[in-house]
This record gives sequence, structure tokens and C-alpha cells, in this order.
Amino acid sequence: MAKTLVQEFTKGLWAEIPPFRLVLGLCPTLAITNTLENAYGMGVAVTFVLAFSNILISALRKIIPSKVRIVAFIVVIATFVIVVELVMQAYTYALFLKLGIFIPLIVVNCIPMGRAEAFASKNSIVRSALDGLGRGLGYTIALSVLATFRQVIATGAITIYETPITLFGPAFEPFRFLVEAPGAFICLGLMLGLMNILGKK
Amino acid sequence: MFGDLAVLFFSCVLINNILLIQYLGNCPFLGTSKKMETATGMAMAVVFVLVLAGIITWLVELYVLVPFNLKYLRTIAFILVIAALVQFVEMFLKKSIPVLYTGLGIYLPLITTNCAVLGVCLINIQEDYNFFQMLISSFAYPVGFGLALVLFAGVRERILLARTPKPFQDTAIGLVTAGMLSLTFFAFKGWV
Amino acid sequence: MRELINMVVVLTGISLASGGLLASLRASTQERIDQQVLEFVKGPSVRGVFKDATNDPIATRFQLKDGQIVRTFFVGELEGSPRGVALEAAGKGYKGEVGLVVAVDTQTGKVIGIEVTTHSETPGLGAKAKTDPAFAAQFKGASVSSPAKVTQDGGSINAISGATITSRAVAGGVSNAFTIYERLKPQIEQKLKELRK
Repeated sequence: MAKTLVQEFTKGLWAEIPPFRLVLGLCPTLAITNTLENAYGMGVAVTFVLAFSNILISALRKIIPSKVRIVAFIVVIATFVIVVELVMQAYTYALFLKLGIFIPLIVVNCIPMGRAEAFASKNSIVRSALDGLGRGLGYTIALSVLATFRQVIATGAITIYETPITLFGPAFEPFRFLVEAPGAFICLGLMLGLMNILGKK
Repeated sequence: MFGDLAVLFFSCVLINNILLIQYLGNCPFLGTSKKMETATGMAMAVVFVLVLAGIITWLVELYVLVPFNLKYLRTIAFILVIAALVQFVEMFLKKSIPVLYTGLGIYLPLITTNCAVLGVCLINIQEDYNFFQMLISSFAYPVGFGLALVLFAGVRERILLARTPKPFQDTAIGLVTAGMLSLTFFAFKGWV
Repeated sequence: MRELINMVVVLTGISLASGGLLASLRASTQERIDQQVLEFVKGPSVRGVFKDATNDPIATRFQLKDGQIVRTFFVGELEGSPRGVALEAAGKGYKGEVGLVVAVDTQTGKVIGIEVTTHSETPGLGAKAKTDPAFAAQFKGASVSSPAKVTQDGGSINAISGATITSRAVAGGVSNAFTIYERLKPQIEQKLKELRK
């Protein structure tokens, strides 16, 4: 069943949205969804890597010998990850410090690797680009939703750019638990359950 | 000297547990924790590879990346070292120690994309560890990983028998349980 | 055989392309990255030692050659004229080096302030060199002509209790800064003169 180009893009936004539907790329999902800024920063970085690695791997899919394809994919993905690292250091250093080790770890994030192997190495450039963009955008949305929930409840504030904006009055009792590690796991678990209740459309 | 290393060991295993506190290596955590047997296999494979990977990446950083001013290529260099190492270990075990291979073999390919491995190698560099500290951390982090994985697998085997609400079955309840486990590891904070 | 050659050629090609792309990107972003690192890593300490400065000391900086090493100096404007310079130095601590930023008033030859930037000392003891402002404040007003010393060594700096080695490291680092300052004094004054224009 061939999908239309639009479907190629939109499937990543709901039906196969990572990490809720496809349980991949969990580590950053748990680790950096403590503020909204971190979440969409990470989302944009992953989208960039995913879209460009998909395009390049799709373009090279006929000349990469299948025996060494994994190594070739790793080199391509790692190259774009370093591009992101350098650009972030040059222009958004504060965010780079906050995301820390999770930027280089995009290399081993299962999403780019998984898409390279399962999709880009078998499909045309346009389809691969749309697939990468769609999933990257879906990932960004998912991270942002989770981060908004966690940050607002845990600190009563939201960080859109650099400084947090306080939302509630002094009577607000912050629920710090949610920004700590156990809160991250439980929150993501509940989110997955919620997605299952909403159903797959 | 030994006191400091012991403190480092326990803080890597318990206080900064790689899985439950530092959030690294969650994909294999959820993937291989459904059965106790796969959990122990994965845990051992990670300890084995990470000690080797830690030593090699530390040497690569010291003798290749720093002298040639190529620190910005660290990510790509480390991941290639790990990928090559995993391949090599797989071939070596298959030929020389088949007993170990039957136990660990199927988990080895999964380790390349386990972010705990690359993560610990990067932490070793970022924290400026010397050789002994690096050795302890490369051993203690995967031990902590194994500990959390085996504990979690034990709990999860029980959950499979329980009646869970349908939308929460499998991964969702797994994550909530992992949260509880993470909470217990939180108790170690402030110990050192 | 053919397959093997193919594999080697493709992998080499991809690696070369990747290396070329990254090297050129690195070259074009290098300057901005260095600036960002200064801003975020050293920025807080440099601004900390120049609390009363009316300019942005990170933006006003110059470099001088000290033998083989290139050193960066940050300039702070005090009472309307650029007379403060901050420089980096290090002393040997209990575990590795203790990094410092030392600011000197070029007119009086006295210390404006010091701040510990990097260290790996024991938390709760040596680490107080960075967290306890009272310790660093003792260096304020010290003259650059004589090395700073802790009281155990016949100086005037009260060591942090339980952390004599770290305190000595800080005093030694400050003294190192003094020697660098004295050695490069003519060039520093020359640069400051240019800034006044």
C-alpha cells in the first residue's frame, strides 16, 4: 500500500509519533523535558539530523554496499550530529550547556538510526525527507507537550526563551517531584497510557 | 586514594545510577527486561563491552584527538570505536570462547546503539577522569545498569501476571514501575 | 574481491566528504565558538572580579604573547578610565590545578578581586575556596610587588580550615598572576593607553 507524500509526512505527527507510539529515543525524552526550552531545542536538533541523514542515506542507498551499511549510516548520522554540536556552540551556547551530553548522544538515539535502516535505505529522496521531517516534528511536539506539563506543575513557570516566566501567584505549591528522575519516568508512563486511550487514528 | 575510588564506585553504581538517575540506556532497559534471563545476559554484555570501550576511547582521546586538535570529532571517533569494538568482540567470542558467545552473543549488536555505552565514555572525558578513575567509572556505571535492569526484570515478571488496565499494559506500566524504582535509588542521594 | 574494493571505496568516500564538511564548518565557526566559551565559561568570573566596572570586560579584551603562550587580558573601566586588567593563572592544588581569575588595578598596583574558576578540590573543604567569598576577599588590596602567602608561610592570608593545601594553591596562583603581570607590565600599559584614545 503506497502512501501519498502528505501521508508520509503526517504519519509521524500522530499515528507513529515518536516516542509515544514508537517507543524509541527515550533517554532524551526523560532527561531534557524538564523545561520547554530544552525540549524544543532538542527536538529541533533531532529533526535536523533526522531530515539530513535521511536525505543523504536515501541519495546514497544504491551505492552503499549492504555489508557495510550500518557503519556508513553511523558515519553519516554522526557527521550531522557534529554539525549540530558546532552550530549550537557558536550560536546558542547556553542551550548547548544545558542539553550537555544528550547532543552527542543523538548519534545513538534509535530514531535516526532506525529510520535510516527501515525507511531511507529503501525509499526515494523526497519520501525520505518528508518522513524525516514529519517524525522530527512529531518528536518535537511530543517532547514539548511532556516538558510543558512537567515544568508547569513542578515549578509553576515555563521557559520559552532563556528566562522562565512565572504563571501562578505566590499561593502555588510547586510539585518538585515531576522534574526529578522518578517523576520523568512516571509522567512518560502516564502519557503513553493516555495515548493508548486516545486510540490510533 | 583508595577511599576516593571507593566513593566514586558507589556513587556511579547507586547515587548516579546511569539508568534511573542519569536516564541513559533506556531503550534496551525496556526492551530486555521482560525476562530475567535476557536481563542478566544484557547486563553482563554491557559490563564486558563498556570496560573495554572506556579504556580504548580514553586512550583515543589522550593520544589521538588532543594532540591533533581534533576534539570536535570526538562523537564520530567514539561511536566508530565502539561499533568496531563490538564487531571485534563478537568475532573473537564466536571463535575463541563459544560458551560466552552463546550467552552474550545476541545482545552484542544491540550494544552499539545503547546510549549508556557512548554516554559513559563521554562522561569519562567530560569529568577529566584519570586512568584509575576512568577504569572505576567504566566498570561501576554498567554494574549499576545491570543492577537496575535485573531488579526491574524481577518486578516486571510479576507485573505480567497482574491485571493491569488495558491502555497501560506493557510499556506504560513498565515506565511507571521504573519511576518507583528510580524513587528508591533517590534515597541514596546525600549518602556520600 | 570486487565487492571488497567497492566497500572500501564507498566508505572512504563518505568519510572524506564528512571530514571535509566538518573541517570547513569547524574553521568557519571557530571564532564564534571561542567567543561563546569566553562569555559563558569565563564570563561570570571576569564580571565577578570587576563588580564596579562600567563597561563589559568580556567585550574589551586583548591578547599578549608571553614567550610561547598567548594570554588573554580583560579590561575593566573603573571611575571612567580603563585601568583594571584581569588575567588568568593557576596554582597546584590538592588534586590538580586550581584555576583563577585575578584583577589588578594598574594605577595603584593592587588587587581588585580574585575568583576561583575551576578546581577539583574536596567538596566542603578545599571547594570552599570557590564558594566562600570571605576567603577570596582577603586578597583584595594585596600589592602585586610581593607574592601572596598564607599565614602558615608567613603571609597575611588566613587559610581555609582543613584545606591548607588548597589555600596555598590559591595564594600561589595569585602570586603567579603577579609575576605574569609584572613581566608584561610595559605591554599591558601600552595596550591600555591605546584603549584610552
